[in-house]
Amino acid sequence: MSSNISRRDFLRLAGMAATATAATAAQAALAPEARAAGAVTAPQWESKFGACDMCFNRCGLIARVERGVIKKLDPNPKFTKSRGMLCARGNAGVDQVYDPERIKTPMLRVGNRGEGKWKAIGWDEALDLAASKMKDIAAKYTRCGMLFSAGADTQSQFVHRFAEAFGSYNITSHESLCLLSGNRAFVDTFGDVPLPDVRSSKYVILAGANRMEALVTPDSMDLMTIMREGAKVVVLDPRYTKSAALASEWHAIKPGTDMAFMLALAHVIITEKLYDPKFVAERTSGLDQLAAHVAEMTPAWAEAETGIPAADILRMARELAAAAPAAMVYPGRRSSDYENSTQIRRSFAIVNALLGNWDRPGGLVPARPAGLKKVPFEPPFYDDNPPGRVDAKSVPLLFDDEGSFVITRENIIKGAPYPLKGWFVYKTNPMATAPDRRKTREMIDKLEFMVVVDIAMSDTAWMADLVLPAPSALERQDPVQALQAGAEGACLVWRDPVIPALHQSRPVFEILKTLSVKLGFPEAFDFDIPKYREMQLAALPEAAEILKRDGVYYPPNPPLGGTDGQPFKTPSTKIELYSNRYADLGLDPLPVYASPKASPDAGRKFRLVAGRSACVTQASSTNNALLSEFEPENTLWLNEESAKELGVKQGDVVQVESPAGKGELKALVTPKIRKDTVYMLSGFGTISGKLSHTTGVGASIVELMESRFDAICGNSAIHETFVSVKKKGAA
Amino acid sequence: MNAKLAMVIDSAKCIDCKACVAACKQANGVSRGVWRNWIKEAVPPVENGKLGRGHFQPGACMHCDEPSCVIACPTGATFKDKADGSVVIDPKLCIGCGNCIPSCPYGARFRDPVRRIADKCTYCPERRAAGLPPACVDTCPTKARVFGDISDPNSDAAKLLAANQGKVVRVIAKQNDTKPNMYYIASTAPDGWAVKPVNPLSFDALSQVVAPLVKYAVGLSGLGVLAMLGRQLLVGQKPDVGTPHEGPEKDKKEDGHDAR
Repeated sequence: MSSNISRRDFLRLAGMAATATAATAAQAALAPEARAAGAVTAPQWESKFGACDMCFNRCGLIARVERGVIKKLDPNPKFTKSRGMLCARGNAGVDQVYDPERIKTPMLRVGNRGEGKWKAIGWDEALDLAASKMKDIAAKYTRCGMLFSAGADTQSQFVHRFAEAFGSYNITSHESLCLLSGNRAFVDTFGDVPLPDVRSSKYVILAGANRMEALVTPDSMDLMTIMREGAKVVVLDPRYTKSAALASEWHAIKPGTDMAFMLALAHVIITEKLYDPKFVAERTSGLDQLAAHVAEMTPAWAEAETGIPAADILRMARELAAAAPAAMVYPGRRSSDYENSTQIRRSFAIVNALLGNWDRPGGLVPARPAGLKKVPFEPPFYDDNPPGRVDAKSVPLLFDDEGSFVITRENIIKGAPYPLKGWFVYKTNPMATAPDRRKTREMIDKLEFMVVVDIAMSDTAWMADLVLPAPSALERQDPVQALQAGAEGACLVWRDPVIPALHQSRPVFEILKTLSVKLGFPEAFDFDIPKYREMQLAALPEAAEILKRDGVYYPPNPPLGGTDGQPFKTPSTKIELYSNRYADLGLDPLPVYASPKASPDAGRKFRLVAGRSACVTQASSTNNALLSEFEPENTLWLNEESAKELGVKQGDVVQVESPAGKGELKALVTPKIRKDTVYMLSGFGTISGKLSHTTGVGASIVELMESRFDAICGNSAIHETFVSVKKKGAA
Repeated sequence: MNAKLAMVIDSAKCIDCKACVAACKQANGVSRGVWRNWIKEAVPPVENGKLGRGHFQPGACMHCDEPSCVIACPTGATFKDKADGSVVIDPKLCIGCGNCIPSCPYGARFRDPVRRIADKCTYCPERRAAGLPPACVDTCPTKARVFGDISDPNSDAAKLLAANQGKVVRVIAKQNDTKPNMYYIASTAPDGWAVKPVNPLSFDALSQVVAPLVKYAVGLSGLGVLAMLGRQLLVGQKPDVGTPHEGPEKDKKEDGHDAR
């Protein structure tokens, strides 16, 4: 394609265009049948600020509202974190609001669980029922008998507050199905979860992150910008994703071998002394141990593991170090890949430490100050409660406030260490996002009461006893939220309803406030949203006015380098190349590489990997009418040579099977994936009767994924499954 | 001086996220299954046995200076707007005959399955009247699409063209330069996808003979409606929803061809 400019038959050089502007009016007049169209009048719309809720990025938007109906969502140009954009999902936010399948009233299950027989009930009856069931469970099983799970939502903080006031330690979010391994690794290395300053970077290695499809603002756009300014972006991915297609360089790395690549980078940087000796001496600890650890981990060794040529690894290590400190191994986000994902991500963190990029432009920067005040709250103490979470001490370094969904589920099924019999779910959907759907179902079957608050009837809601309708983010008032944008600083957003809440929907805040009264702890919710915002903004007196005027507020952002000379929040107060904490816990203090385990079954040849499309936010968006036009079904990406061996042709329906379950979907025969790997989108093959675009369409990836978890932090490990693939009908 | 609206696209910036396509559908109420704009994917090259750099190409109606669709239209519903150079469909005059669809070498036109008339990119006139850029331009994450009046040297589009003088290309049909007003910076891919415009033979003759004004009058009088009714019914039978049009679904099918 590089020589396409010479194909003048098809691509005509338009030199005239830039110079002949004076002639254009004449051209227009001479064109056939030119005439003047009537004047078009501007729409009579009101423009209202909002923040998108189609994924976790929360891009600032402007809703165009005509006679109470949202006509269009546009990017808010003052919201610079998203570089003034709104993606396909953001645009499709209108369809989420007007989805005919939305939950409209509180619904009580009247048939068997999951059978889909519901009765519409009033709010009073619904909330009385929820309160009395929660009281019963607390009385029978202690207050920790209730599990609270809330998704990535601005009001999820109220679910956490409620759970604490109610008295349960059992709170999970989506994060233990997503990003905790990466957070664990960076906290244990840097004492913090840093942000990448992509915009000023000269060299970025993206491993296990597909930023051109799994959009993160502003990183996705900035990666394109910096490449045009001469920066290099290297993508390691077993798939030719759009990130791979657009990168300066792509390597189809063997899945599960990223750590070998990173340790080889460390080997080259240390043996060739390409690191900043002053930074490493003053700010890190454990260089000698690391040097000894990686002494044999040469590029040639890594080539055998990763499939990436040694010469390329050597070159990339040198290029990366030469660009430092404006260089990085991108920390990534979803890191729920392998049972050793924390250690894999530790190897990412270690290479960054050697680059000396901490708190430097183009490197990894600490979270910028946002100036928001916490709204204080003293949770009561209930002395009959068990000592901790139901998943406590299951792994050495569980995040206490996040836990592990996969281990919590296991323990609920076992009924140990104590019974957990109630589940309050807000806008998260483990039936479609947690590996091994049958286990999630098994867990639900152990429950005595399950209530789900959501906009749509997700697969998880479909399993509930009681479903409560929530408004979309365009129909409600929200607290202030701080968002981070690399070195550019934090920004604050809030939401006011751009239209009144549709149907009988109620924000979870109101639901919880009512329940707090019924359950006897009204003091936990002794405020409304405006009051709560005031308390949050107490230190930023000008913020509220600016939020009203611009839809976004930028608190003062001190220059980078503010942490120079400051201790890191680690046991040694330095960046821990060698982890003292891990040594104390009996864990490998340096990431020890082991080749990824081969499939235990010769019939299951393919490793199943997960990933994203820019038009899909897992199961929360696949039923969206507009987005379903872009991703109408999921397909199994199958390498063309593997397909030939299996006798599978383009579009054939294939049967995919793992020890967890099976599924049928069409094959996408393509050179864009390694021969040993298959991939499909999540969010299809759903079971809810109110998801007409996805139920019975494609295969469910969580039906196929085995239930594995990160041995250090309990994050799910969703790339540990091998599947068999055969053409439907074949022997 | 009259305006000349154009789109200047830096396709090397495109990440194929489909934001422009979604924004267009939402802004213009485009029916399910049809698309006013698109992103095409170049077949990636194979270098040393592995796939090389990819390239994505945003597109839509190019509002040509010599639009074949205007000639193909029997009623004068499709015309070139004198004031701004855009190619406009007057829905009141369109009889849904479908002649314009194969006449466009770029597949930019389709028959709206609900309104049963021709449809394509309009550059969002309502948004422009409100002082906003077209929806696809406004929403683009990497600002690959730039829109403006290229006869105004101060417009973003004119400035971008000027800055890239000598490096701007247009996608055209082989030996059929309709003078599109969609400019791609530096180089773009895929190419060779534009087809030869197809006009009904009888109609070619008619359009040569009959003065534009007469055609317009025919359209207004309803004669065109009668004349083309038979054709409309025939076209209506065909599953021509999005036919010449490369929407995302078609993109996906092409994945399988990449190895060639």
